[in-house]
Amino acid sequence: MTDGPLIVQSDKTLLLDIDHSMSTECRRAIAPFAELERSPEHIHTYRLTNLGLWNARAAGHDAEMVIDTLIKYSRYAVPHSILVDVAETMSRYGRLRLEADPIHGLILITTDTAVLEEVIRAKKIAPLLGVRIDNETIAVHPSQRGQIKQSLLRLGWPAEDFAGYVDGQAHEIALKQDDWKIRPYQELAAEGFWHGGSGVVVLPCGAGKTIVGAAAMAHAKATTLILVTNTIAARQWREELLKRTTLNEDEIGEYSGAKKEIRPVTIATYQVMTKKKDGVYAHLDLFDTHDWGLIIYDEVHLLPAPIFRFTADIQSRRRLGLTATLVREDGMEGEVFSLIGPKRFDVPWKEIESQGYIAPAQCVEVRVNLSETERISYATAEPEERYRFCATTRTKRNVVESLVAHHAGEQILVIGQYIDQLDELSEVLGVPLIKGETPIKEREILFNKFRSGELTCLVVSKVANFSIDLPDATIAIQVSGAFGSRQEEAQRLGRILRPKSDGRSATFYSVVSRDTIDQDFAQNRQRFLAEQGYAYKIIDADDVFQGKL
Amino acid sequence: MRSFTDYLRSVDDDALLELFTYRADLISPVPSDIASLAVRACSAPSLARAIDALNQWHFQVLEACAVINEPFSEKQIIAVTEKAAAEVLPKLIARGLIYPSDDGMRLPNSVREVLGSEIAGLGPASMAKLTLKKLDEAPDSAKKVLERLIWGPPRGSVGDIKNPGPGVTWLLEENFMVPLDQRTVIIPREVGIYLRGGKVHKEREMTPPEIKGTKREMRNVQLAAIANVATVLRWVDEILEYWAQEPADALRAGGLGVRDLKIIATHMGIDENCAAFVAELVYLAGLVTIDADDKILPTNNFDIWLTQSASTRWQAIAAPWLITSRVSGLVGRAESKNTAALGPELDRVNAASTRALVLELLAENKEVAPELESFTKRVKWCAPSKRNPGLQEEMVQWTLREAEWLGITGQGVISSYGQEFLAGADLDIINTDLPQPVDHILIQSDNTAIAPGPLVHDVAAVLAIIGDIESRGGATVYRFTDTTIRRGLDHGKTGDEIIAFLRKTSKTPIPQPLEYLISDVAKKHGRLRVGNTSSFVRCEDPALITQIISDKRLDILSLRRIAPEVMICDMDAHDVMNVLRNAGYLPAAESTNGMLLTGPRSSRAQSKPRPPRIIGELEVPTDAALTAAIRIIRVGEKSSHKQSTLRNIASNALGALPRTTANETLDILLKYIQEQRSLSIGYADNNGAVSHRIIDPIKISAGSLIARDHGTGEMQTFRIPRITGVAPL
Repeated sequence: MTDGPLIVQSDKTLLLDIDHSMSTECRRAIAPFAELERSPEHIHTYRLTNLGLWNARAAGHDAEMVIDTLIKYSRYAVPHSILVDVAETMSRYGRLRLEADPIHGLILITTDTAVLEEVIRAKKIAPLLGVRIDNETIAVHPSQRGQIKQSLLRLGWPAEDFAGYVDGQAHEIALKQDDWKIRPYQELAAEGFWHGGSGVVVLPCGAGKTIVGAAAMAHAKATTLILVTNTIAARQWREELLKRTTLNEDEIGEYSGAKKEIRPVTIATYQVMTKKKDGVYAHLDLFDTHDWGLIIYDEVHLLPAPIFRFTADIQSRRRLGLTATLVREDGMEGEVFSLIGPKRFDVPWKEIESQGYIAPAQCVEVRVNLSETERISYATAEPEERYRFCATTRTKRNVVESLVAHHAGEQILVIGQYIDQLDELSEVLGVPLIKGETPIKEREILFNKFRSGELTCLVVSKVANFSIDLPDATIAIQVSGAFGSRQEEAQRLGRILRPKSDGRSATFYSVVSRDTIDQDFAQNRQRFLAEQGYAYKIIDADDVFQGKL
Repeated sequence: MRSFTDYLRSVDDDALLELFTYRADLISPVPSDIASLAVRACSAPSLARAIDALNQWHFQVLEACAVINEPFSEKQIIAVTEKAAAEVLPKLIARGLIYPSDDGMRLPNSVREVLGSEIAGLGPASMAKLTLKKLDEAPDSAKKVLERLIWGPPRGSVGDIKNPGPGVTWLLEENFMVPLDQRTVIIPREVGIYLRGGKVHKEREMTPPEIKGTKREMRNVQLAAIANVATVLRWVDEILEYWAQEPADALRAGGLGVRDLKIIATHMGIDENCAAFVAELVYLAGLVTIDADDKILPTNNFDIWLTQSASTRWQAIAAPWLITSRVSGLVGRAESKNTAALGPELDRVNAASTRALVLELLAENKEVAPELESFTKRVKWCAPSKRNPGLQEEMVQWTLREAEWLGITGQGVISSYGQEFLAGADLDIINTDLPQPVDHILIQSDNTAIAPGPLVHDVAAVLAIIGDIESRGGATVYRFTDTTIRRGLDHGKTGDEIIAFLRKTSKTPIPQPLEYLISDVAKKHGRLRVGNTSSFVRCEDPALITQIISDKRLDILSLRRIAPEVMICDMDAHDVMNVLRNAGYLPAAESTNGMLLTGPRSSRAQSKPRPPRIIGELEVPTDAALTAAIRIIRVGEKSSHKQSTLRNIASNALGALPRTTANETLDILLKYIQEQRSLSIGYADNNGAVSHRIIDPIKISAGSLIARDHGTGEMQTFRIPRITGVAPL
């Protein structure tokens, strides 16, 4: 028994005691092969997954090193089964290789014919293969590169991909660091991505993912396609790229509902890409119109299904996914990893916070009581109406009023799901509302007013869940949400995490009806943030009314 | 020619002592004289046991002895084997598997039978004189045929014996091949040996095969082993705690059902093989038992166990495992789906000896993690299993796996704990080497609690109730949810108690949301009450209810007021009404859905009518049935008449039943088998009744006499111990 900071559990989770003196060192040592699962205040949980171990192999780490690291930092003896498992899993990597071939285009080669025999017999794989060239080699249809990699991964025989990436059309891009400096973690993330070829970078909201994208572009020095969630985000990207890189206005195009520009760097929205015309996706051709050297997926956790499918076909192009919250209530996280690429960078939110790159934030759950009549109506409401009913209860309005009054002078966002409720709040508070039907122009004007301080309070619907950059917002009040969505909660908190000019901390209020499913959903919603170490404080609506905050 | 009995009579005490050391079954119980000793030593089960104890090389020498003609000499054996066989022969003699007669060495009766029909893959001795040299000039077609039969089995099938191919024809003509029946031919033993280059076996395996493996550092081995020890102790705790809360139901045939096995496997986070192993461990150690009502429950020993030191606890589970004949690996195999853990079908004869052998070999190969294939080969050499080699292989694998689970090995290498344990030494070292238990947890804001080491039992028991285990190992991660908190409340804890417990146990402050969660659930818990009752009394006037409650005459009803207007009672509604009426009240009956029941009481049964069955009268049989019955009786009568005539003839010839002792019986039988004469025997049936049989003895095999019974005209097997006497006709 040593006195290390790490406890290796028999279910392949690693518990890291972050109060231990060696914890930082240990975190660095295990990061290449273990995936961060949770990072609450005392003990962080990492997990050894096949994917993580194979990525480590791909990055040049061998089983010996992984095992040595585990044994070195482990507090108790490492279960033997884990060591055996690590060695076994890692030895499966690289028995199959995908290589470019002058005659056949793409070939699958093995060093172990038994493995090849096994995989070519698999039902999912057979249709992707071409002619058998010899005992160790078989041709693969080049268009199936993504598909076959995905299927091999599921079979447990990951292929090492030597086929490489196309360089794309060269285009000079460099970072322009005159009045700012790229942060160390942003540089690490961009480098991690570049060496891996393709992959996902996970950074907290407000930690500057755009810069990571820009840095990746500066590595690629090639034409780039950037996919973002909406037009506002597209414009923000454009602004940011103009400010941070050597690109000029003519080099950046917007491909959205409003404009259809194709330039060396093109920013397209998911919405326009997935728009159907006469039953076909009319704009997916965009992927092919240009010899893109890099494709960036912003907010990759929102990747829509058609793009999923299309991404499988463009495996020879470099792909970078950016997200803060890779949790999907549909459980499709795995698909993201196998199509875009593995997680190349991830860091606990609280660590970025402690370095001062995102604002410290406090999360508060305000519980309101339903009135007696509301309780009865709630009890008899149709099941599908219940959430809406308790999420939009009248008492919440009073709480929001009090909170806004309490924080007068600060930049406040009121966020909700139901338009009626938001309309009402906008009226009561006397502030503008931004919702789906608000024209882009007007949205931009309002956001700009908010940024400049002309407006101190905005009511927004879910259109402002992502990508909207409002640096000085310090207070967010959430009145209702999309049921138990964990990432929505995190993204909404993300709106107020940009570091403040005066170093102030941010506060996130979530107003919840007591003893209803609103409360149950809230519990699920808070899980992601709780796992990132954000401790919620629960207060009563009465405390708010009495100004006890 | 000296018989085996004579040989035994001639040896000195030392030789007998040696024999008994090797074959302990010969003296349990102690035989009355040398003759009975010889009989027992030649009995098939005893011989089989003695032969099973031979290693591969000794076994090969014995096979060689069995395939050459008796009497044989040491030189002959060396010729068909190796020089080293000279050292083996005295060992076989010491075990009573061969013996020196006056004319050379011989095999006791039955050894050949126990060895099987085609010993070493060789056929029977040739009846004709053979010129083996001729085989060298055999035509190619014949050589081809021989090649296929050379290493056994010596039998081959031909399309039709009357019309064989050219090779077979030549072999048959030269007597190098003998027809067995219409389709089968066999090559005689001499031919086989000649073709094998004058040897009986292809390879003489004189030296044990080497065990290959990976060398491991002892420090890591120890660390891994102690982790295993800690784990197995935790498993035992968990399975017993689980069964204490949710006893599993035993199957009707005994044992733990597949579903229950899955449940505990999931609960403990291990696979089903391992779960079956742990279940068997606690069963063997007497920590669980199957109760009278077929519930699988921890015993009182579990309470004692909990108070014991780790080393004592570990020994308590490891020691019974070492000697048990039960094989938990058999549970859940594809071939034996219905074999259940804790069930009656897990005993295997060689389980303990195979296990002991495996552990012995592990102990001999210190610091080496054996590689399975070579290890299995070695085990096979040490104890060649003739009857079920597949099972032996699996048992080796299972023993290695179980030794690892127990911590006897770590990383596949025997640990010092394992060595000390096998040597019967004191295991206090386990107590010092195990990580020291912790008595605190760390609670985090995502509603998880982490015990950063093995928890002391009291704390672990409470946490297991109020939290779900999310991750196990050196540390334990618990998650609190409303369900788990409710479970705690169901176990009689209050919300405040839970919070107080966590506050006391946690090194970190309790996050506020968790505190809210607990008090929220506690607030709601038990707000609804459910219970059983037989009747209720209700009245819209609370005053009347109060009057009834305080009425002394109605104490016998033990009414309980559960609301201002409602009382409940455990007595039947009808009785309650009578009591109330007697006391001067005027109750009316009400149905459960609130209807007033009026009118005189006139009850109807709730169940369907079931008139009693009629017994007695038989149906009148049909004509066809009657004639058939008569015919059957007539036929039976005729045959029994024939039988009794035969029996009369026999008893006339004999006068009385023959009586001989067991040894005489065997001697006489052996004698007359060679002379091929008919015999009269007395034979006891299952109930001990002795019947008279006239038989033609054919051969003795595995404790039984095979003979043709004159009475039935069929071949029959007679068990020798049941033959009360033999006499020639």
